[in-house]
Amino acid sequence: MDVRIELAGVSKSFGGAVALREIDFAVNGGEVHALVGMNGAGKSTLVKILSGALVPDAGEVLIDGAGHGALTPRRARALGVSIVHQHRTLVPQLTVAENMLLGRLPRRAGAVDWRRAHAEAARALAALDVRVPTRAVAGELGPAQQTLVEIAREVATGGKVLVLDEPTASLGGADAATVHDLVRRLSSAGISIVYISHHLDEVLGLADRITVLRDGRRIVTAAGADLDLAGLVRAMTGERISHQRPRRDRAAGETVLEIDALASGARLAELTLTVRAHEVVAVLGPAGDGQSELFDLLSGRRRPSGGRIRVAGADVAAGDVGAALAAGLRCVTGDRLAHGLVPGLTVDENLDLTRRGLRRPWLVRWGRLHRQAAERRSRYGVATIQADPPVSALSGGNQQKVLLAKWLDAPVQACLLEEPTNGVDVAAKADIHQLVDGLADQGTAVLLASADVEEVLRLADRVVVVRAGRVVADLPVEGLSRDALVSLTVGGTAS
Amino acid sequence: MTAISTPQRRAGLVVPPWFLRHAGVLAVLLLIGVFTATSSDVFLTGANLLNVSQQIAVVAVLAAGLTLLMTAGGIDFSLGAIAAVAHGVAAQLIVAGVPDGPAVLVTLALGAAIGLVNGVMVTWFKVTPFVATLATSTALGGAALLIIGGQSVSIGDHLMMIGFGEVLGVIPVSVVIAAAVCVAAALVMRWTAFGRNAFAIGGNESAARLSGIPVVRTKLLLYTLGGLLAALGGVMLVARLGAASPGAGGLHLELTVVAAVVIGGTALHGGSGTMVGTVLGVLLLGVVANSLNLLQINPYYQDVALGAVLAVAAIANHLRGRRT
Repeated sequence: MDVRIELAGVSKSFGGAVALREIDFAVNGGEVHALVGMNGAGKSTLVKILSGALVPDAGEVLIDGAGHGALTPRRARALGVSIVHQHRTLVPQLTVAENMLLGRLPRRAGAVDWRRAHAEAARALAALDVRVPTRAVAGELGPAQQTLVEIAREVATGGKVLVLDEPTASLGGADAATVHDLVRRLSSAGISIVYISHHLDEVLGLADRITVLRDGRRIVTAAGADLDLAGLVRAMTGERISHQRPRRDRAAGETVLEIDALASGARLAELTLTVRAHEVVAVLGPAGDGQSELFDLLSGRRRPSGGRIRVAGADVAAGDVGAALAAGLRCVTGDRLAHGLVPGLTVDENLDLTRRGLRRPWLVRWGRLHRQAAERRSRYGVATIQADPPVSALSGGNQQKVLLAKWLDAPVQACLLEEPTNGVDVAAKADIHQLVDGLADQGTAVLLASADVEEVLRLADRVVVVRAGRVVADLPVEGLSRDALVSLTVGGTAS
Repeated sequence: MTAISTPQRRAGLVVPPWFLRHAGVLAVLLLIGVFTATSSDVFLTGANLLNVSQQIAVVAVLAAGLTLLMTAGGIDFSLGAIAAVAHGVAAQLIVAGVPDGPAVLVTLALGAAIGLVNGVMVTWFKVTPFVATLATSTALGGAALLIIGGQSVSIGDHLMMIGFGEVLGVIPVSVVIAAAVCVAAALVMRWTAFGRNAFAIGGNESAARLSGIPVVRTKLLLYTLGGLLAALGGVMLVARLGAASPGAGGLHLELTVVAAVVIGGTALHGGSGTMVGTVLGVLLLGVVANSLNLLQINPYYQDVALGAVLAVAAIANHLRGRRT
């Protein structure tokens, strides 16, 4: 069979961290080749190399048998490799036809030939049996239809290898099925598909071949028919000792944080849970699923579409940052540079911001500020070369520690930690895990929003699993096997 | 995520950071000063330097308010128009027989109120600061002319103290006022929670809000303060001219103020700024104008020079921002 695109011995590292090690990966013409792996396994790095967005440190990218040392996104597209991202990229204000023909609208005498534009778009959609009116405004289409239009656009612009990055991540069953149908039609039309998904049952039903990545290595490539769910999960998680979960003798105390039927549009449906003092409860889901809504809803950045939040028995006003803070609830973002820290200000001043926001003093006393910051830095292990550099000059791990110290160093009732080890190295990760243990030991009710199974097993006492915005399980972590948990998050039969 | 540490290039140097930061403006200022001094005998005379300092005093007062505001990521294009309105209102009040003190206070209160209106538009109605203040600027430009009926309104020998008074027999009162405002602004930016909150809001509004910092209140105060200082500038203007007249203040003053602040290195997107830089920017523009005057260059080149200096400064700031 003819190989369309191939990675031969590709390696890539960022700083000291190895993202991919000597990966061989090939996609045949008309094949659906699924790529699966846990968070951080290297999937996105691999996709970026396929699309020319990243240049590998070693190894080669071959397209139709020819090597491309300096592949750029533009070159890759010209050669027929295109990506449909999880976050849809249609221009929401424009019509389907305009989106389909973006940048290449047909023209006559300098003016756009609208009749031909709609005819061309309609023809491209009809060829793939996608039933969407070309005059519809893209933003008003449902998410599944938007995905279909986007795929059709890539095919119409000459895509021969399509990388579909979680195309069904936020779709329900029926919508997902229409995407699956389209993928099958594309495949029988000879178009190659690289299919990335956290939903293993859909992968098993759809893929001709499956490649499993773990820790930047290719673990196995096998025909879809030769694999089953258990085998796939084992390949993704490996045989290593699952986690060094410290023995803990703390007993959960009174209920502190109560979340009652919390909902946010289609992203999160009726989440109910309670967190007690001295307890760590995790909400686990695939990246970008329901648990990623929690930060906005609990911090008061956004008003939930339904449900209540209570801290220590008192209701917290919805959509009110001040009320959440006053109630003793601290929400620590997973996106530290967007919502957590002020990058241009120094470490010490960032550490003081929450206190300043709560106490509202008139004056800033720098001497005291630096003294208090020094204590916090040493407690949280923030290491800097200069005395007090701007936060933007720190490494990711140190920034994350500053973030945690800023929010959590004063006694707090309850806290939400969103992906607390996002983008930090192994050493910093271990430090941060100890800090979270310490929080629970002191009596804080800790809610953890995470897409990282390892971390949940390491930190949590109880886990609530969400998938496609719905709760699919609520279990104590003690005695829970890793494979069982992975199966729950990535689409096992337990739902 | 590109959360990778950037190398610290300047570690080990013992030059104070503010000097390093403003070395460019300082160098240009010295260069133009030396050049003008060698070409013209008048430049370094006490009379000329006093004249320059009085000319830039009004700009400095407005620029102080704008520096604070821009540090918080805001912008105000109506400061010049507020000054024009204020100088007209002060003149009419005095002509109507209101004593100097109350007239000045009422004018300042009016300026603050206009600033508050800007703030309300920006915070409550979420109008982009550029558009909101452009709207008030345009409206106030017309209002300023209506207030004085399109003619000069003389205030006789009122407000002489502000316009022509001297401290210790040499330093003009207007210069003392400007210096006091600038020093106060610098202290606010360094030592008060209000000033530091402006930095936090300009640096990352979302993080500031989530930290419990009163973002809306701080912005309202910043716009109000900007309006108040612009009105003070207007009072200084009418005191010095001895009359309110069409064409005083307004757009030209506004652009000079914005240019001075940008030349001083305050980021347009907020999060960083210094009063030292702003004062240097004000001085630079004052010296350039004076120099063109003394060297008897066609006055039409003044605006050309202003634009050119601004463009160079903005590009320099961009390059510096990219490096760090």
